[in-house]
Amino acid sequence: MNIKEYIESGILEAYVLGALTEQERAQVDADIALYPELADEVEAIEMTMQLHANETSVTPPAFMQEKIWNAIQAQKPATNNATEQKPAAKVVEFTPPVARPAWQRAAVWAAVLVSVITNFVLLSQRNQIRTQNTELASRLEKLESKDSQMLAKVESYDKGMNMIADTGMKTIVMRSAKPGHEMTGMVFWSKAKGETYLAIHNMPMPEKGKQYQLWVIQDGKPVSMGVIDNNLVANAGTMFKVPMNITGGQAFAISLEKEGGNPTPTEVMVVGAI
Amino acid sequence: MSPVLTYNEEELVALLKQQSRDAFNYLYTNYSGGLYGVIRKVIADEQTAQDVLQEVFVKIWNNIDQYNPGKGRIYTWMINIARNAAIDKLRSKGEIMKGKIHTAEDAVYNVQKGMKTEQMTDAIGLKDAVAELKQDYQVIVNLAYYKGFTMDEIAKTLDIPLGTVKTRMRAALQTLRQHYNN
Repeated sequence: MNIKEYIESGILEAYVLGALTEQERAQVDADIALYPELADEVEAIEMTMQLHANETSVTPPAFMQEKIWNAIQAQKPATNNATEQKPAAKVVEFTPPVARPAWQRAAVWAAVLVSVITNFVLLSQRNQIRTQNTELASRLEKLESKDSQMLAKVESYDKGMNMIADTGMKTIVMRSAKPGHEMTGMVFWSKAKGETYLAIHNMPMPEKGKQYQLWVIQDGKPVSMGVIDNNLVANAGTMFKVPMNITGGQAFAISLEKEGGNPTPTEVMVVGAI
Repeated sequence: MSPVLTYNEEELVALLKQQSRDAFNYLYTNYSGGLYGVIRKVIADEQTAQDVLQEVFVKIWNNIDQYNPGKGRIYTWMINIARNAAIDKLRSKGEIMKGKIHTAEDAVYNVQKGMKTEQMTDAIGLKDAVAELKQDYQVIVNLAYYKGFTMDEIAKTLDIPLGTVKTRMRAALQTLRQHYNN
């Protein structure tokens, strides 16, 4: 097969863009498995579409994050498909109307009249209450949003307190690995829960094109826990929860790497044994 | 809060397999925009697009064990889940045929009218990508990637030879690639 011609034909683009039929697709899949040059080209095209997705990204409405998480949680227990019981049909018996005397009819009319007047009065009252209600609702909403902000703050303070009080939570101070450079970082780690919090104290802002990377040393091997955003370096002392669950290790370390990180640490800045 | 730690492909997969709330938050913060952008290109209706986004995240969450790193990057995997779910939704609503005729007509009409590139790119959703990307290219990328047309359907719709569809796809992607490499 002439690889160059194959690539230039545009079939790999059609493959990534999803414009092939099942059959054509299977053929390209087979070709990719055989020729690594084709696989590389497909990867490059896919990368382009990833960058394109980033460039044309649209932020969904904020409530979606919670909504989707709830949907994920809700599907966990096996869905209860018990057949809904149909309520038995109600049977209403009809009795033939009985002729009523005149005084009874008059009484009915009077009752209807009273009801109409009452309804009118109630309706106008209801409208008034409605407007008041909307006002109250909007005030309540404002209060609630303030309340949830406060709650989030209290929760974060609470967390800090609990962390300090939690005997299962270890404090690991990472000290400078470079003589002559004062640097510190801190890790709070709960082995039982796998929870880890990171704070940077006193580390210089990495030069352009470089970033810090967090590591946990497990059985002598450094395992990356992610690349650290420079924002955290700028906000010294801010505590940040590490998303990754960490269940074991002998030490934490931060190294200086090229932007985006490296598979193994190059220049270790601070390190602290657990 | 913007993510303070960022993960590479491998780390992200490991994180998602932990199935924790933190993992979800990381996933959502970093990828919801890209995925929602793709969905919105396919489905104009906001409510429907939101439903699809939810469906897509649930799918990613449930199927992370089926993701095969040997078959491409995880972001591409997620984008394809989003695209497929959105196009499926379009089809299930019986709108695909309507949509096809519409899109094709609009596309041809716009090209013929010689709309300004800016309006054109906006109309078919390659807005910020490359203003200079030729209209012919944009139409083809849009029909294939966001509307689920096969090459054959594109050729018939635009009344151009199949070979031309392929070469234009190649040219379009080459232009985009150069744009992002700069």
